Order: sequence, then C-alpha cells, then structure tokens
Amino acid sequence: MSPHLILVETSDRHRQRGRLLTTIGTVLLIGTYLMLVTTQPDGLVDGLGQGVALATFAAYLAAAILLLAAVLPDLPVSTLTLIPVALALNILLGQLVGSVMIPLYLDSIGTVMVGFLAGRRAGAATGVLGTLIWSLFSPTVLPFAAGAALVGFLAGTAARFGALRRVYLAPVAGLFSGVVVGVISAPVAAFVFGGTSGVGTGAVVAAFRSMGDSLLSAVTKQALLSDPGDKALVFLLAALLVYALPGRLSGGFDFVRRYRVLGQRGTR
Amino acid sequence: MAGSSLHPFTILAVAAAVVATTTAAGIWWISAAVITGCLVLAIRAHCARKLVLLSCAIILPAFTSQLLIHAVAATHGTRILLAAGPVTITAEGLGLAAALGLRTAVLVVAGILCTLLIDRHQLVAAIDLSKAPPQLGYLVAATLFLLPQLAGKQHAIGQAQQLRGVDAGWFQRLRLRSVPLVLGSLQDAAIRAPHLAARGFPATGSRTRWRTVPDSPCQRRIRYAAVACTLLGPLAILAPVWMGA
Amino acid sequence: MGRRQTTAAVSLELEGFRYGSAPADALHGISLQLPPGSLTVVRGASGAGKTTLGMILAGMLPRPGMDTMTGHLELAGTRIGYTPEHTPRIDPAGWATQVGLLPQEAGHYLSGIRETVAEELAFTLENAGVPAPDMAHRVERIARDFDLEHLLQRDPARLSGGQQRLVALAALAVNESKVLVLDEPLAGLDARATALVLDFMDRLRRRGCTLLVLACTTGVLDPDLVLDLEDGTLHASPGGDAPYPVTKRGSVTPDAPVLLEFRDADLGYSSGTSVLKDFELSVRAGECVGLSGPNGAGKSTVLKAAAGLLDCRSGSLRATDTGLLLQNPTDQLFERTVLREVSFGLTKRGQLRQQVPQVLEQLGLADVAESHPYELPASARRLVALATVLVREPKVLLLDEPTEALDQEGIIRLLQVIDGILEVGGAVLFTCHDWRFMEATAHRVQHLGGNGPRGRDRSPTTG
Repeated sequence: MSPHLILVETSDRHRQRGRLLTTIGTVLLIGTYLMLVTTQPDGLVDGLGQGVALATFAAYLAAAILLLAAVLPDLPVSTLTLIPVALALNILLGQLVGSVMIPLYLDSIGTVMVGFLAGRRAGAATGVLGTLIWSLFSPTVLPFAAGAALVGFLAGTAARFGALRRVYLAPVAGLFSGVVVGVISAPVAAFVFGGTSGVGTGAVVAAFRSMGDSLLSAVTKQALLSDPGDKALVFLLAALLVYALPGRLSGGFDFVRRYRVLGQRGTR
Repeated sequence: MAGSSLHPFTILAVAAAVVATTTAAGIWWISAAVITGCLVLAIRAHCARKLVLLSCAIILPAFTSQLLIHAVAATHGTRILLAAGPVTITAEGLGLAAALGLRTAVLVVAGILCTLLIDRHQLVAAIDLSKAPPQLGYLVAATLFLLPQLAGKQHAIGQAQQLRGVDAGWFQRLRLRSVPLVLGSLQDAAIRAPHLAARGFPATGSRTRWRTVPDSPCQRRIRYAAVACTLLGPLAILAPVWMGA
Repeated sequence: MGRRQTTAAVSLELEGFRYGSAPADALHGISLQLPPGSLTVVRGASGAGKTTLGMILAGMLPRPGMDTMTGHLELAGTRIGYTPEHTPRIDPAGWATQVGLLPQEAGHYLSGIRETVAEELAFTLENAGVPAPDMAHRVERIARDFDLEHLLQRDPARLSGGQQRLVALAALAVNESKVLVLDEPLAGLDARATALVLDFMDRLRRRGCTLLVLACTTGVLDPDLVLDLEDGTLHASPGGDAPYPVTKRGSVTPDAPVLLEFRDADLGYSSGTSVLKDFELSVRAGECVGLSGPNGAGKSTVLKAAAGLLDCRSGSLRATDTGLLLQNPTDQLFERTVLREVSFGLTKRGQLRQQVPQVLEQLGLADVAESHPYELPASARRLVALATVLVREPKVLLLDEPTEALDQEGIIRLLQVIDGILEVGGAVLFTCHDWRFMEATAHRVQHLGGNGPRGRDRSPTTG
C-alpha cells in the first residue's frame, strides 16, 4: 500500500460553506444593531427590556459564533499555533502596559497582531475565541465577542491595504477601527447590562445622561471617547512589535508576503 | 470535584437555561434565590470563597456603574430622594439600578460557578468529542495552558532585564519587557506548527479521544431539556407580557 | 512521480535548497542514502544547516510558495521531485508515518495540551481516529517496550529535560515511522539521561527503525556512518571528533583578594521558602570555580543571588561588580541588530561603548553585527547574550550552563573569554552539566546537594 505523501487539492466546498456562515453572521449582527438603533427600546426592566436584553445577547453571541465556525476549518496550522500565543499576550501585554503607563484597558494587542500577520479571517477568529475563553473567568464579556471579532477583522483589513507600511498609518487605522467597534458594541452595554463594566466609564455615561441623552446615545458617546484612543494605541503597539520580529519569522506568514504587509521593511 | 461525574456540557446547558429564564422573569426574589442556590452548590463543592471573590470583582464595578447611570443621574421618576445640582436620586432610579445589578449578578455567579465546577481537561475532551471542528478544542486547551507558562516566561524576562541594569524611561521599559516575550513566544509558535501537523493535527477524518467523559442517557435528556428551556423558556415567560402590551 | 526499486530507506538527491528571501543556498550538492536499519550521524557546527537537512527529509521544508529546492527524494517506493517552479504540497501526517523528526527542543514536538504523558502519547492516534481500545493497547505497548510505564500518569509540562525527550521519542515511536531523524538528541543531558536516551535509540533500531542523528559531535554514539556538513554540503568524515579544547590553569595566588563570598548564607525568594541554607563559598581574584550537583540543588540560585536577583536572607554575601549570563539568554534579546543589542544602554561617548567592536571581534560576531539576533544560529545567539554581559566589563563573571547550545568553536571562544577575565584579575563562577568543560576550565569544583533542602529550583510564579 502506498502511503499518502502528497496532498490532493481540496475542493471549494469548505470555502462556500464558510462564505455562507460569514454572510449570515454579518447580516445578523448588522440587522440587530440597526433594529436596536431605530427602535431605541425604552424601559430596561419591564417585560420588553428583558426581551431586548436576551435577544441582543443571543444575536451578538450567535453572530460571533457563526463567524468563528466560518473561519476555523480553513485556518492553516501556523495560524492555529499563533492564536493561543496571541490570546495569552492579550492578557499579559495588557497588564504590562497598564503597569508602566496609565492604566488603560488594552486587551487586544495580540488579536491585532494576528490580524496583521495572518489576515482578517484569522484576526476575527482570534477575537471571538479570546472572548469565549475569557468569559470562563468573566461571563459578562460574552456578548462583546462580536466587537472583538470586528477588531481582529479590521486589523487584518488595515494591514492588507498597507497600514503597516508606514508607522503613522497604524494608529490612524486603529482610530477608525475604534469608532466602528465602539458604535457596534454600545447596544450590548446599554440594553443587556444597562451600564458599563467600570466605575470611570459609568461616571462618563451618567454625565451624558444628566445632559439629557438617551441611554444608547450616552453609552455610544462614552465608547467614542475611549475606544478610538485605546485602539489607536493598541494598533501602534502591535505594529511596533511586528516590526521587531525578524524577517524570517514575519515573512513566514503567507498573508504578510502576499499583500506585502510590511512594504519596504519586509525586504530588509 | 462535584462536577467530575457530570458531563461539562450538562453543567453549561443547565446554567444557560437557568440564566435565560431568570433574566426573562426579572423577578427579584427568583434572582436572589438562584444566586443563593449557586452559593449553596459552591459551598458543597468547597469553592464558595473563590466564587464570591471572583464574582464580586466583576459585579461591584458593574453595579457601581449602573448606580451612577440610573440612580445618581436619574432622568425619570417622581419620588425624588435627593436633588443637588446635577445629582438627582429617585426611588425609581434606585429600583432600576438594583434590578439591572441583579440581572448581571445572576449571569456572573452562574457563569463562574460553571468554571469552578468544570475540569478544564474534561471540557477540552468534551469539545473534542463533540461535532465542533477539531481546531476548537486545541485552541481552547492551548490558550488555557499557555497562559501560566508565558507568565513564567515574563517573570524570567523581567529578571534578565533587571541584570542589564538599564535605567530607562517608560517606553524603553515596555520595550525591554514586551519584545523578548513576543519574539520568543511567536518563534516558539512558528516552530511548533510543522510538528503539530506531522502529528496529524487538525484531524481530517473522524477523531477519537483517549480520555473518556462521563455521560449517561439521563444526562443527555437533561441537556436537551435545558437547551429547549434556554430557547423556549424566555419566550413562554415574555409572550404574555407582550400580548398584554 | 514514478516508482522505482531502491535499497535505501530514504534517499535524497539535492542540487540546491534556498530559504524564502535568502541571498544564497543553505544546502547544495547533497546526495544522501540511508540504508534500512542503519544509524547515520551528520555532524556540523551550529548553523551549518543540519536542522534544515532534517526538515527536508521530514517533508517540512521547502514550504510551498516560499522556499525553493531543486532535486528529488525517494521514499517508500515513491519519487518526489522538487523544482524551483513547483514545490509539491506534502501531506504532513502521511509523511510522518514514513519519516519522523525529533526537534532539538523536545518540548516543541509535544502538543503541550494534554494532562498526562499517556494522553500525549495518544495524541497522534487520536487525530488518526484510532478506536479507543486499540489506542490504549498501542500506548501501553510503547510504554512497556521503552520502559516508560512510570511516567504515563505524569504531567508532561513538569518533566525534566531528559524525561521530556524520552516522552517525545516515545510519541514518535507510536507513529511507527520507518525513518527517524533526531536533532541533537543528547545535547544538554547529564550522564544518566544520556544513557536512557541511548538505550531508547538501541531499542528503536532493534525494531528495525532507520536513524539519522544530527549533532555537533559524534560523542558516545556508535554510528554505521559519519558525514560532516560543512559549507552547505556533505563530506565523508575524516574520522573521530576534534579533540576537546584544553586549557592550562595556573595556580591562584593564595593572598589574592576575595571577590565573591557567601558566608552561612540562606538564599531564597523574599516570599517563598529558602532554596539553599548555610551556604559557604569564596572566590578569589584569578580563580575559576565550577558548581556541580543534581537538578534542583540550587546552582542557579547561587548565581542569581551573587548577581543580586535574590535576597540573602541571613548570613552574609559580598559580591563585587558581577555580570550574569542566564541559562536562557534569549529572554533578554530585543533589538533588531546584534550591534544595537550589545550597545544597548551604554552612553554614546562612554568608554564602554568603545569596547563594543572589540567584544564582538573577540566572540566572532563582527560579521553578523547587522543581523537580527533571532536569525543567528543558536550558538551565535548565546554568544550575543554573553557579549551583552562582557561589554560591561564585570569583575566577576557568572555563567549558568554556558556550554548549552554552544558548538566547538563557541566553546573555544568561551574558554578564551574566561582566560581573559582571569588574566586581568577577575573571577569566574559557573554551573555546568558537561564534565569535560568542567575539567577543562575550573580550578576547583564545589559540589552542591546532599543535605540542602530538596525540590526544584524555581521561582514562585513559575511554580
């Protein structure tokens, strides 16, 4: 019997299934968001409020899991060994930055690095997985999985279109991503939990509320105050870390070579 | 551990059902009863201390935030308890914050109790034996076991840099600590990949596990019931309210 | 892809192999046939391309779309051709049933996600979908054949380096590959672990396995064939290993000043328990002292305490101007070039800065000053870490397992460095598993262990 030494080219069936799941996930996420923004449900704890809370929770989580299911079977092994490292780095680097600088909530440096090195699909998967695993220790992060997926996805997209070829482009891309992620995640904080996870952010939302804003717009404004800055810094730090890698390591990623992610830096 | 004879998915499914129906019901004494129930279970499994500490670390800041948003800066409610400048505390606002706090607390306490009851290796084995893609089990396991390893590595890096005796600003200090960590761990990940592939990962056909996860037809029925309850319970509770509205 | 009858278990005809963006071929003009059941050793210095050769045989290189290779491989009656235009996509699992590779660091072969050694051994079988009873049977048989039954229930992450290598070898053996490529299987092992790994290799050969060992020296192995890998190509070996470098140590002046002194010292981490109690040691100027003892006797602890990383909780510790090379020196490398790494933290016009080119020259690193430290071979990377210590001109040089990963040339450089320190009235204190190095360089050896507290030397966070 002859052993299997050479791979047979695989069919496109996987890919089609992946596209379908991605589409359903994206439609679910955007549909839920638009529904919440247009109807602006009032009353947080009567029957209507509980229904909205559960529906938002379920829709955001389901969207994230669909995106994960779409991407996971296609990831190469080199990305699979990278993701756990990135998730551990999310936590460790976040703590490290917090210990030497102002205590910011930088919990996505690793996710962004995966986006930069392995592309937007891998980045999105990293975001969702990180949230799922982190939810074992902090269950309230579960519905934010979709936002985390978006961070990784946008990081990969930015890298693909050259955001790492110049140092100053990375924080700009981060700023933009922060706006998108902040806006998309705001309904979770507003309608599922009726507030934020920290005292400082809670005070900011309370200030907007006392100026007459609705809950969703107050939470969104608070997110727009903190998220873009946070993501700009995260993108910048992740870019600097990627620059520090030896060319042989960063050049080992298909995505980096194909889209010339590092531009001139990669050829040194 | 108390959970050792239970399939990890059974625990998770029951928890999901309880959280979903409790949230939908939104009645304070049911929520309080669920939290008390979780505490009793934790006491029996000898992990009550951990449960309380971990839960409080999440619930307290979240509840403070809810208090600030709904009670201190209340925009509605007639029974004003205190009004001083921008601060307006109303009874309705306090009630609203308390209800939201309870909702969060149920999720947090039940979720963390699951984490404490489930053995991580059993959870990974259960994921591997389920219909989930083979990559999922590896990623969950690798992340859980890598974190303490990398934390140890970070400690070693801290020592190594201390030896250099460099008096540097915050940016240099950050660079000294983070770059070796990232370089080393990414290099490690890159080296591991071909060996993992050589060991047949990810499996393309059917896969098996050395480890067995305790399960029974009874548990399986409980799981199906719990999943049905998670999906239909809230509907059953909320439909009459919506009809009324 | 044609079929042809060959006698070799695997045969490689390689015109050239080049890494992705490298300017030159890493390997060229190689013709290698491994007769079934034979033991072949490929010798070469660190960075000569041994690992590259092993990975080509194991089907892990060239990576499609990156590296280029011209030549062909014959394996299991199949001929696989490589051209720069076309690199075949390898089925890694299928290939591994023919050729398995044990990486230099055995931990890289282990999945790292299993609770017990038994589960780790079963990992490949699980992925292949082998039914559970069959799997248990095969794992037990391997454990019995290789005397590993006592390790089956242990946590793979808590094994010693030698045990980890045995487990990785057993995990490879589960695959029943016809050919095994072992990358530095004996490096960094003490005498006991070396004997166990050698015994393991014997058992593998008795099962009919063809072995290829990649190593710096033949050492204690008894191979059928030895080949030297030099300048990217294989040569028939002229004979045995080069003689181990010998240094002549003069005697120490008895009234030389004491540079490092432990008196009745109790060493440990400020929070944890003591690792070493009642420790006595003094090192005079011009003296080179070796520390020996089993794992966990506290050798690293002594060096860390001397360098000021640990507290001396009672007794006294006097140390002047120390510099420590850690066991895992890559922990401190972070710059993009060797030159910047070594110059880091030195003031631009300072006197120490002037020494940098000289130190690089002394360690043979002048040619790679502009390379990324991580792209250097392991031996040179270790020397870069040594350079970062030397450039600060320490009076007392502390070395934790300095010979690990060093090839022959690296060891010669290290011996020269030690000579240099002693000549200018400095002192050296080191730990080492390699008794030949110990004999070659130490004036005297202090043995640790015996009545000290047991347990592994570890920090509170890694425990």
